[in-house]
Amino acid sequence: MIELEGLTKTYAGKDVVQDVSLRVESGEFGVLIGPSGCGKSTTLRMINRLIPLTRGRIILGDEDVTQLPPEQLRRRIGYAIQSIGLFPHWTVAENIAVVPGLLKWAKSRSDARVDELLNLFHLDAGEFRDKYPHQLSGGQAQRVGVARALAADPEVLLMDEPFGAVDPITREVLQNEMLRVHAQTRKTIVFVTHDMDEALKLASRIAILNAGRLVQYDRPIELLTQPADDFVNDFIGKADLGLKLLSRRWVHQYQRQAPLFDDTTAQSTGNQHAWEVDAQRHPIRLHGGRLDGDGTRQRTEVNAEWVATAEMPMKEALSRMVWFRVMALPVIDAEGRLIGEVTMHGVMGRQP
Amino acid sequence: MKALALRAPVAQRTWLLVALGALLVALTLFMPALEPLFRAAFPELNNPVYQRESFLQLTLDHVTLVLVSSLISVSVGVGAGLFVTRRAGREFEPMVSSLAAIGQTFPPVAVLAIVVPLAGFGFVPTIVALTLYGLLPVVQNTIAGLGTVPPNTLEAARGTGMSSMQILWRVELPLAMRVIIAGVRVSVIINIGTATIGSTVGAQSLGTPIIAGLVGSNIAYVIQGAALVGLLAIVTDLLFERLERRFTFGG
Repeated sequence: MIELEGLTKTYAGKDVVQDVSLRVESGEFGVLIGPSGCGKSTTLRMINRLIPLTRGRIILGDEDVTQLPPEQLRRRIGYAIQSIGLFPHWTVAENIAVVPGLLKWAKSRSDARVDELLNLFHLDAGEFRDKYPHQLSGGQAQRVGVARALAADPEVLLMDEPFGAVDPITREVLQNEMLRVHAQTRKTIVFVTHDMDEALKLASRIAILNAGRLVQYDRPIELLTQPADDFVNDFIGKADLGLKLLSRRWVHQYQRQAPLFDDTTAQSTGNQHAWEVDAQRHPIRLHGGRLDGDGTRQRTEVNAEWVATAEMPMKEALSRMVWFRVMALPVIDAEGRLIGEVTMHGVMGRQP
Repeated sequence: MKALALRAPVAQRTWLLVALGALLVALTLFMPALEPLFRAAFPELNNPVYQRESFLQLTLDHVTLVLVSSLISVSVGVGAGLFVTRRAGREFEPMVSSLAAIGQTFPPVAVLAIVVPLAGFGFVPTIVALTLYGLLPVVQNTIAGLGTVPPNTLEAARGTGMSSMQILWRVELPLAMRVIIAGVRVSVIINIGTATIGSTVGAQSLGTPIIAGLVGSNIAYVIQGAALVGLLAIVTDLLFERLERRFTFGG
């Protein structure tokens, strides 16, 4: 848990961060967001005192760390930045083991930790341990950067636009990986971004800053449905609010039982569509369920892209329905068995 | 691929280094053996090989002059460069840079003319002149080298909780080392050449046969001294090149 109390930064008589108070509970993924110059990065860097604070208190766990020497504090807080900042003269292993080294861990313990972290990020330890940063791709370097920040098992992880400098595809992969790593480690994270979609995807709580002030600190859904003021309203952007909301909804929330296709009853069940499955309940094709065809006589073969999983954001499921021009999408489990469906009617029939 | 492309010429230069190094040692030890050659080339000279001191002694004296002056240049130069890149010394940077530049603007001969009346003839005035002359490249490259350390690397280093001393030793100096060594290389090479003028004020060096030859119209003496100075400079330069390469990181 980390709590900021009345955090203020004054440069040349001007408050660039003004009285920011917020609390990120243990295991929560907190995101600071706002337009450039809103003070989000300054706020983050005051937490590990890379920027000295003018006023305010920082509480880590149940300890007031405002007066702790900055070096000691930083060894308890992980820090990952946009440009990564790996040390070019050290191997991946040496880079990751920096903080354990500063904390004087035994060699065997920090070696084991390096391997553990490389595995966590699906980087083969044997291959990557002795590589130098210039031999890594941008995505790999960013993973090593986050691994370094996590090395000494810090109480809090600070991330300053860590995925800002990578290409969109890598960014999405890294975001998914970050969600997985967060789910696995249950770290308390404070994450800075200016990208609302990124915030909605990652955050369990979002703090919106404007001109150095905290405007709203809420769960993503509340932020979307109950914006505190016009600024938040504008910042979220009304144009694709519906889709943004669906990006915070999951398939399992919309999932319902899938009607199964049965040769003898097909005509009489009254269903608009039905699923044909094989002996293992793998969906094979959809009968009906399209607007462009001829009712139930329309057949659509199920393929690997045209399915949903229970944990998929509803926005993505909707996108797949639109792309394949069907009114329903099969929901499958890890073994590919049909466990339900989501439908266009389901999406439209519910307050998002 | 890049690493491979770089490796080939280095291997060739290793042979060059070994060959020139062997030639340097051979000439230093066995110059008198070349007497028939010089006699044939300069039949009008009575003594075609410099014999007053051994070339080994002259080379050792020369190396001592360069070593002592370079050690002082490097300690003072790197120290000054470090000081003006720390927060406390930042405002002294223009002053230190211009002082070092002035040191190199003064011809060593002029420095000798000033120092000799104060410190007498011999070793000391030569060391002063060489030290001042060699300071600029070291100071400049120390400042430049520390300036090449990327700001986000420094930010990351601070973020991990390193103290400023740890950041300096573990991050800044290793990353700046290649550029700093390049400065030391220039300084040492300049001083190997410049140390010869020490002989004009009584500091024995490889300049001694050169001066003697110039005064006594003995071109063979000049060639013998100059050849050894030149070889010494080239061999030292090749050694520094290898040292610099050790501190090259990344692509």
